[in-house]
Parts: sequence; C-alpha cells; structure tokens
Amino acid sequence: MIPTVALVHVDAVTRRFPLDHNEVIALDHTSLRVERGEFLAIAGPSGSGKSTLLNLIGCIDKPTSGRILIDGVDTGTLSPVQLTDLRRKKIGFVFQTFNLIPVFTAAENVEFPLLIQGLSPAERRTRVTEALESVGLAGRAHQRPDLLSGGERQRVAVARAIVHRPALVLADEPTANLDTRNATQLIELMRGLNQRLGLTFIFSTHDQRLLEHTPRIVRLTDGQVVSDSFAKGDVHEQVSAACIS
Amino acid sequence: MSKFLLLAFRNVFRNRRRTLMTLLMVGGGVAGLLLVGGFFAFMFRGLRESTIRNGLGHIQIFTAEHFQRDEVHVLDTGISDWQHVASSVRTGKHVRGVAPRIEFYGMLSNGVKSSVFMGSAVQPEIERSMGFSPRLASGNDLNSSSNGEVEALVGTGVARSMNVKVGDGLTILSVTADGALNGLDVQIVGLVNTGFKDLDDRYLRITLPSAQRLLQSDRVTNLVVGLDNTDNTDAVAAELAPQLRGLSQPMVEKKWIELAAYYKQVRTLFSGIFLFLGVIVFFMVLMATVNTLLMAMFERTREIGTMLAMGTPRTWIVALFMVEATLTGLFGAVAGVIGGNLLGMLLNVSGLHLPPPPGTDVPMAFRVLHVPALMIGSSLMVVVSLALASILPAIRASRLQIAEALAHV
Repeated sequence: MIPTVALVHVDAVTRRFPLDHNEVIALDHTSLRVERGEFLAIAGPSGSGKSTLLNLIGCIDKPTSGRILIDGVDTGTLSPVQLTDLRRKKIGFVFQTFNLIPVFTAAENVEFPLLIQGLSPAERRTRVTEALESVGLAGRAHQRPDLLSGGERQRVAVARAIVHRPALVLADEPTANLDTRNATQLIELMRGLNQRLGLTFIFSTHDQRLLEHTPRIVRLTDGQVVSDSFAKGDVHEQVSAACIS
Repeated sequence: MSKFLLLAFRNVFRNRRRTLMTLLMVGGGVAGLLLVGGFFAFMFRGLRESTIRNGLGHIQIFTAEHFQRDEVHVLDTGISDWQHVASSVRTGKHVRGVAPRIEFYGMLSNGVKSSVFMGSAVQPEIERSMGFSPRLASGNDLNSSSNGEVEALVGTGVARSMNVKVGDGLTILSVTADGALNGLDVQIVGLVNTGFKDLDDRYLRITLPSAQRLLQSDRVTNLVVGLDNTDNTDAVAAELAPQLRGLSQPMVEKKWIELAAYYKQVRTLFSGIFLFLGVIVFFMVLMATVNTLLMAMFERTREIGTMLAMGTPRTWIVALFMVEATLTGLFGAVAGVIGGNLLGMLLNVSGLHLPPPPGTDVPMAFRVLHVPALMIGSSLMVVVSLALASILPAIRASRLQIAEALAHV
C-alpha cells in the first residue's frame, strides 16, 4: 500500500518564547499527522499550547525546532512571500474574536479572500452567495458586523474561511465568545461543512461539551500531546502519547 | 481594485472625530496658503498694473543705440522718425496706442529755491486714451491744445518742497540736444501722487512739443506701447520684433517685466516668504498626520494581523494605508479650497485696507485673488504631504508579526 502524504504533518516541533530573562516552552517536541477530510479538535487547558500549535500549522509563526509540512511541503523552506501564498490558497482562519473587518458588510468580509486571490467580480459574487448560504446567512449579506449577533458574526467568519475552498480550516477557540447554544450550532455547522464539502477542520477548544461529537480529539498539556483519541461509535478510543510519538 | 478603494474610503471615516480633526488641519493649511497666496497674487497684480499704468506701458521701443552707449547730450540716442514707427506699431493686434515720450532731467526754480527734477514729456491725449493718466492729487491733467502758457504737472513732493500749488508758475532749466542751457516757464495745472514718495519729490511732466522746444530736438526717447491686456504682452512683442528689425534706424523692444526692476524685487521677496510658509504648512501637516496614522495603525493591529493571516500581500497593507492618507489629503484639500475661497470672498466684501506700504502714502486694499494654479499647487502639496506621512505607519503595519498582531488587545 502506497503511504499517502498527510495534509498536515507536525514533526517534533518545539516553540519557545523568550520572557524577560527566561524562556517559556509553549510546545515541546510535539508531533501530529492530520489527514485530508478530518475534523479534529485540539483540547487542553489555557496555556497548554493549543493556539501556538494552530499558529504554527497556519504558517503565521515559526517553530524553534522541528518541521511543519503542509501537503508535503516543508513550510520552513518557504520564503515569506511563498508562505503568504500558501495561506492565501490553502488555509482558512476562524478566530475567537471573529476578527471581521468592521467597515465591510458580511458579504464583503466573505469576499475579501477572493479579492486577494484576484478572482473576477462575477466569480466572487457567486462564491460569496454560496458561502453565505452554506452558513445560513444569505439574508444578512448586507449587514455590517456590528449589526450581527455573536453567533452570526462567527458564521460569517466561517463563510470567509471556506469561501476560497481551502484545503484546511483552522479555528482558534471559535466558540469561546459564544453561548452554549450558538457554540453547539457553530460546531455542528463546521462538522456539516466538513462532511458535505470534505474540508479539513482543526479547531481548538477547552469546552468539554463541544468535544462529545468530535471524531478526533488531540489533548495538549504543557505543550505536549498527552492523548489522541478517535471516536468509535459514541466513545473515544484513547491513544497514549507514547504511542503517538 | 474598487473594493480595495472602498475599504480605504470607509477606513478614512471610521473614526469620524479624528478624521474631522485631520481634515480641519489639512483644510486649514490649504485655506491658509490660498489666503496668503491669493493676497500676494492681488498685490503682485496691483503692483504690476500700477507699474504699467504709471507710465511703463506694456512694451517700450528704443533705438538699439540707447542700450549700447550713454548719451553725450539729451536725445542723441533718441528715435528720429518716431511718427513712422508709431503708426506702424499702432496697426498691430491688441495695441491700444503708442505714446512717444521724452525722458529728461534738469532744475526747477520758483525764483527763490531750486530743485532737481526727473521729467517726462508726453502727448496727454494719447496717454489718456491708453489709460496711462497720472494719479492727480489736485488740478487737471495736461492739455495739448492749450494756448499761451506751457502746462506742467508736478509731484506732490515737488509742490511741498517748492511751496507751490496749482496755478503757480515755475521755471525749468535743462541742457538742449546741442549741449546748451535752455529755460522754459511753465504753469502748474495739477499735482500728481504716484504712490512712491521718492518719485513724487522729483516728478515733472510737460507736453511733448514743449519738451522738444526746451531740448531743441524733434526726437523722442522712446515709444511706449499700451495693450488691451497685460497677458497679451508676449504675443504682441513676438509680432513686433520682425517689424522693428526692418527699420532704417535699428530698434529694440523691451517688455514691461524687463524694465520693472522694483516689481521683480518685490515679487522675488514675497515668493520667498510664501515658499517659507508653504514649507511650514508642509511639515505641520506631515507631523500631525504621521501621529494620526500611527494611532490608526495601533488601533487596527489585530485587523491587519487578520488580513495578513488570510494571505494579504504586505504590499497591499502599505498601499491601503497610503491610499487612505491620500484620500484624507484629497478631502482635506477640497475642504481647504472651498473654505479658503469662501473666506477669501468674505474678506473681499469686507473692504479691509492695510496701512500704506513703505515708500507710499496710499492705504493698500486687502483683497484675495482666487488663483487656480495656487489651488492646484496647495492641494497637490497636502496630498503629497499625507502620502509621504503615511509611508512610515504603512511600512510598520505591513511588518507586523502576524501572531503578535492577532494577540493584540
């Protein structure tokens, strides 16, 4: 059997941050493989390294040591311009605080990734309509973010993240600013997009309730993967950190 | 591209209070430059026209010899066949008239006291038809057809110095074209106030035939050409040049600007002052907008981080900030041009006057001209200032570390 190239391959990555005269180790020799079409949650308490791991996978930060491969390409060998190009084409981002451009309407926010890809206005219009319909916000297309609820804003952010049909969507604590109902709806929305469009989702959370229907959960503690569990029916099968490495 | 411009446009009005303050500052700078520049332009125009109408004319024609050597005797480099030259020039387009003049000098005496004069002899009717009438403080202008007495206009300074008034007589003494001394009794028919005190203290004007009789010559020093509009000077001068070259006595023409040394000095001085003001405004706008744009960049750090994370090229971020600054400059310039012109109109109808400038005793009207070139220049200056001011914040914004920018609170 020919081994397939993982969409994301985190290979023994360490990330240290200088703090005064000391160093903080955010990730410590962490490894992880994510295949195409996976729906994966990175769980763990605050400070466990979830956001750092997502930043590294999203190519918006660089590891102190180790390698990150996206679609088989070692991101450490890419120039800043090539990294920008990779993010623009292959990755979609959803942020905890939505991070919508406040002077743009929902539709214009969703259109932005297409704008920087240089798509024609007609193509952009079609894709924006599709994306907004897929998150159930076609009727709110011309509202500015300040007139949308928190849940609606995050759905716009999801539409923005998927509109350019990336290989990978990274969502850093996407439900942290949402109530339980909106949080559950958002996870269900992302899961639906994952199943319907085959998009790979990696999201971080520390909300235990949202993990129940997540097929794969990677748990981080103090910058190390302590477990990687795959759902088998309704039960997650735990794989020890030792097995993973 | 239109969406990118739309983003820049909306960002300009994101923080309305701050944008208003920036626009006030930029607009104020433009309006200030328009008011000062408009006043200077009015001053230049007034000085130009008064210089021309005080007798300089638009173009003067001399013999070529006049500039090649000093006269041994009066009028020995003068124009001999001046009637022929004048009639030829008079047929030209835009020419209102051609006035023969004699410039001479000598002594004035009232029998008790003598004084030096700088005299000019004119044909008063032709001068009047060309709008070159002297500014009379009292009395009347010269009249060629008067019988008997030789009429004269003297400056108010001369009248004060010689203790004479309109109706009084004076004797003028001068050297003739042959080098002999000759005298002529004249009657003062008017006192002239040129606006220049030094000139008023030496001013004498008589009719051309009287001067020719005094100087014993039928020549004239020069021909003064008056035009319908000062703006036509260059065109008429270009047309006249070949005509003058074909005459038996070699002639040269001089445009008013070549003869108006004082006008040029004043213009150079005030242009320097205006340039200095422009540089001050430029730096004020530059400093203040750098600060404003840095604040905007700081406030939008997370948004810029988001855009960069999504794969927006860093050059786009630089361009975005520069376009926003340029748009602010454009809006400020429009506000400044409108405000400056409105304020200028208000000042113009207010009838303000300034104290007499040095060397004159006439209060100066305060008027602001609406000069299109100045509006375009000032507007361009602030737009360029703001575009330059945005370079530093734009580069800073484009170099933000994405992960740090996203964590910015």
